[in-house]
Amino acid sequence: MKKIKTTKFLPFIFLSPFLILFGLFYIAPLIYGFYLSLFHQYGLRPPVFIGFKNYLQVFNDTNFWMSILNMTKFFLIQGSIMIGLALIFALYIDNQKNRFRGFFRMVYYIPFAIPTAISGILWGFMYSKSMSPFQSIFGIFGLHPDFLASNALFWSIINIVTWEWTGYNMIIIYSGLQSIPRELYEAAHIDGAKRFDIIRYVKIPLIIPSLILSIVFTVIGTFQIFNEPYVLESMTFISPHFTPNLYIYTTAFSYGNFNFAAAMAIVLALVTFAVSMIFMRFAGFKEE
Amino acid sequence: MEEKRIKRNYYSAKSVIFLSLMFVASVYFLLPLFWIIVASSKSNAQLFSTNPLWFATPFDMLKNIKNASSYDNFILWRWFLNSIIYASTVSAGTALISAMAGFAFSKYNFFGKNVLFYIVLGTIMVPSTALVLPIYLLMHSMNLINTYWAVILPSLVNPFAIYLMRIFWMQEFPNELIDAAHVDGASDFAIFFKIGLPMVRGGLATVALFSFVSTWNNFFLPLVVISKSKLFPLTLGISIWTSLTSTGRGPSYGAITMGILISITPLIIAFIFLRRYWQAGLNSGAVKG
Repeated sequence: MKKIKTTKFLPFIFLSPFLILFGLFYIAPLIYGFYLSLFHQYGLRPPVFIGFKNYLQVFNDTNFWMSILNMTKFFLIQGSIMIGLALIFALYIDNQKNRFRGFFRMVYYIPFAIPTAISGILWGFMYSKSMSPFQSIFGIFGLHPDFLASNALFWSIINIVTWEWTGYNMIIIYSGLQSIPRELYEAAHIDGAKRFDIIRYVKIPLIIPSLILSIVFTVIGTFQIFNEPYVLESMTFISPHFTPNLYIYTTAFSYGNFNFAAAMAIVLALVTFAVSMIFMRFAGFKEE
Repeated sequence: MEEKRIKRNYYSAKSVIFLSLMFVASVYFLLPLFWIIVASSKSNAQLFSTNPLWFATPFDMLKNIKNASSYDNFILWRWFLNSIIYASTVSAGTALISAMAGFAFSKYNFFGKNVLFYIVLGTIMVPSTALVLPIYLLMHSMNLINTYWAVILPSLVNPFAIYLMRIFWMQEFPNELIDAAHVDGASDFAIFFKIGLPMVRGGLATVALFSFVSTWNNFFLPLVVISKSKLFPLTLGISIWTSLTSTGRGPSYGAITMGILISITPLIIAFIFLRRYWQAGLNSGAVKG
């Protein structure tokens, strides 16, 4: 592509507002966070340099790894349900024969416009015994479930997150479907392919990049879950190591141990990065 | 065209079943919104005793608006105003900053361009805690805690917006135009502001909308850097109300549900009227490029 030929510093003038803020609020905090993670503070005494000892402690911290494991489980279950549903919905609204496509597309996507903290409170109220619209429905069958009980909470939060993000993922996959040339379907149709064959052998292989994008966003999002369990804390007991972010936040702001929290945040970043890379690699192999 | 060639059969059993399932899913997605409208029209007593899925008499919506509004010296509307201040400042700022950066990334060659671009993109994967904890300490030492800037400045850095704007510049603004403008003696800044920005206005609108939404919806950053209730955005304020009320010290549930309704209505309206831009953002952001 042809580019502007001009003085060398000009592009940096256009970049400078971004670069300054990026340096101050992305790069500097990352470096400072790493720096913090190398210290330990005993009581009110000044921090002492301890090298990588915090990291050693992170690796031996059962609570931290329980939270990672919990979110891995969450990702496998919730991610499969959500992306599966998003794929079905996207295929439905992509089919021009289907009615109400525009209506469904909009309705499913609406929860994306609602702050996740608010969704958490909203569903929390709907789960609570006193206000729940579900109690009377379940009551017909003689059931009185407690959605906020500790053994149900995992599934209740899966439901909240699925409600929030299915439409968003549907739109990502739908965009992938929209970019497939329509002539391909006609060609397949003439060759005698049934609707299901077209989905299986034309549509799905061609939207693998969108699916991978959905999966990677879900990985990143799941390991960062914080708002929903945090706001539900006012309605029920939630283990402080339910998610890594909740644990890191509690360590920093309730126990004041910023150094250890910083080390955990960096390990969390590395875990997220590694898992995302695995999926992207996997996608790379698929395409070749 | 293609539609006519394929035989239509709307009423086959399979398609009816599928359509019904799609409607069931719609009920699932709309139910919480319907519930919140119903709940915000009830008094506390009605909330706990009447059918949760239908309105009750007397219809207390106006009373709840009054209760929610007047609680703690109209603080709810202060939060509403704060959310508007945060979201609109960040949205305008992000649009301009990422338009400039996207212009540089798409129209110039410079040393380290690709490396820099990949670093910017890679940061999408950094969890917010890894940034927000040190940001809190850094801001503490700069005396920025409990100021509007504490929320606005970090939110202006939006790698995804840069990625989007780069695509919009590549697609909507031909390089030949730049050459032509150069021949006419226009400076690069004149080209950017006078010719360029109007041509990528679709991209600007998309980026502005997305960053407005993500700032309006942000919770974690304000939770960490804001502790003065006068500076809360709606998300934080309502979550504090909820925890106060759960210990019996906050406003009534009718007022809280009304607060929730007030906090989600602007974006749902924006969402319905600006559909085009939501779709555009995800289309180009998600797949092309």
